[in-house]
Amino acid sequence: MGMDEQAQVSRSSMGRSSADGLQRHVHLGFLRKYAVVFVLLALILVFSLVSDSFFTVRNLTNIVTQNTYFIIVAVGLSFVLIAGGIDLSVGYQMSLVGVVTAMMMVLWSFPVWAAVVLGLALGTVLGLVNGLIVARIKTFPLIVTLATSVIFQGISYIVSQARTFRDFPSAFQFIAKGRLGGVPLDVWLTLLIVVVVALIYYQTKWGMRVVALGGNEEALRLAGVSTRRTKTWVYMACGFLTAVATMVMVSKANSVQSSFGPGTEFTALTAAIVGGVSFLGGEGNIPALVAGVFVLAVLGNGMQLAGWGVYAQFIVRGAILLAAVAFDEYQKSLKLRVKA
Amino acid sequence: MTTTTVAAATEYVVQLRRISKRFGGVHALREVDLELRRGEIMGIVGDNGAGKSTLMKILSGAYVADEGEIWVNGRKVRIRNPQDSARLGIAMIYQDLALFNNFDVTKNIFIGRELTRGPMGLVLDKKRMYRETQELIRELKVDIKSPRQNVASMSGGQRQMVACARAIAFKSTILIMDEPTAALGVTEANKLLGLIRNLADKGISILLITQRIPDVLAIADRVFVLKGGERQGVLDVGKVTLDDVVTLIVRGKDRAGEAPGDVMYKSFG
Ligand SMILES: Nc1ncnc2c1ncn2[C@@H]1O[C@H](COP(=O)(O)OP(=O)(O)O)[C@@H](O)[C@H]1O
Ligand SMILES: [Mg+2]
Repeated sequence: MGMDEQAQVSRSSMGRSSADGLQRHVHLGFLRKYAVVFVLLALILVFSLVSDSFFTVRNLTNIVTQNTYFIIVAVGLSFVLIAGGIDLSVGYQMSLVGVVTAMMMVLWSFPVWAAVVLGLALGTVLGLVNGLIVARIKTFPLIVTLATSVIFQGISYIVSQARTFRDFPSAFQFIAKGRLGGVPLDVWLTLLIVVVVALIYYQTKWGMRVVALGGNEEALRLAGVSTRRTKTWVYMACGFLTAVATMVMVSKANSVQSSFGPGTEFTALTAAIVGGVSFLGGEGNIPALVAGVFVLAVLGNGMQLAGWGVYAQFIVRGAILLAAVAFDEYQKSLKLRVKA
Repeated sequence: MTTTTVAAATEYVVQLRRISKRFGGVHALREVDLELRRGEIMGIVGDNGAGKSTLMKILSGAYVADEGEIWVNGRKVRIRNPQDSARLGIAMIYQDLALFNNFDVTKNIFIGRELTRGPMGLVLDKKRMYRETQELIRELKVDIKSPRQNVASMSGGQRQMVACARAIAFKSTILIMDEPTAALGVTEANKLLGLIRNLADKGISILLITQRIPDVLAIADRVFVLKGGERQGVLDVGKVTLDDVVTLIVRGKDRAGEAPGDVMYKSFG
């Protein structure tokens, strides 16, 4: 999964009989790994030509700061996706964690740190719930998390009574408004998360087992690893990072209601798949994932500046997701042919 | 043979006693006994559906027997999952190769028992894993070019060798292989058989399921014959011919001694 290893694979000589297919496969793997970066650069180029206000310090800074929480969710979701699962409920996890954290601060005057800690704990528990159900009932995580998503939605609206909460203590607003060395705190936080998660994948046995789980679940079980436990952890990690993202989102908006959050799952999922995280698990890398988020961000921003409107963006996003999934499938079918 | 002494019992690394297993209505195994000696290669043969894989999976912890006892190194043990089996030094290489196509050789060998360093073993010791894999490749003289080669790009024989290397890396003393040569060409199969003989000479006890009787006669010490989930007998390779083995596989113990033409007629009748 590390880039160095991938590069090694392409250099080492391959079996004789299927050498052509393999060569093709390896090149595609390389292409796929960096395709998203080229797509990103191409988009930046196109929009710089189309709109004068696109390639400005201010606009580019905006693109980054407006997307920190999407990156955090996408990174959290990557655990689940790379492990071969999916979590459609992250949007309503954000909704529920957001309103509960806000209520703790605004209605019940909890200290900010306590509200944040409890909010993060809540997010982790929501992930745990998903993980336990997916690991126990051996059914499609798509259906499980679709169901829990609706449940979280219900709870969120009941708890918030559809109210909006705003004007949080300044310590909470600081998450998004604070700066360190001229760079917003949430950008630092995102960077930290990206680096830590990348290290988890490349340098820890837990990360290696997550990738293994997505690669061959039965083999991992036979290797003596509790796949149930690994699965549960993966959803918990996703829940935790989703809650972190929620804090950033709520702090940035300085207001929240139950409709804040839903929709994020689609953006994060699209970004992950555009970033080369395999829909079937076992593959993905964090830098490309981040690039995937920015592809969507640049697209949204650029289309807006070019005056293409919100609805046209929906169409383009959907089309991009389809294209990315199709590419993923094509990639897998090639691989199977090579194996046979 | 119910009165085995303790001394006699420890001559065997593995003893399966009266193992039975059902899958719904299918009686996959009926009161099967098996004794494996230290450092021997025992061929496990029988028709498709005879229960070979099931018997071995019970020893590897992939399945749990409905009835019967398992003794390892003279001690009665319980094997409830693959971990239990691994702790006893048993490794099984599956027919449907349990490899990770998204991993290289090294990661395939070390997954589940990764080498780590640092506080609380937090960090993977990649350097040591790659080095040990390199050494293993050299020691086993297997046909793998680099510890970083991805297994998805490997031939069937190479994949079997990765699986063997994995078992050896963890000091398994009992190795179970389920039809390892089934999908291999002659050259690769012979290489693999050579490796298996090599391992047995190092003192590893091996249970080798195969449909290729000549393979068994070439490298095994004894042959265990199953039919319809029942033990038909154990033959010393040095004392039997291919025909003897095939006859036992096809006709079973009760009719193996009958006149050939006669039995052929009956068995298809
Ligand atoms: N997991 C299972 N579920 C149901 N039936 C099984 C299962 N595994 C094996 N069997 C049945 O048990 C019998 C023995 O199978 P197996 O041990 O695979 O035979 P062999 O390896 O000798 O070909 C067969 O009838 C097979 O259909
Ligand atoms: Mg079998």
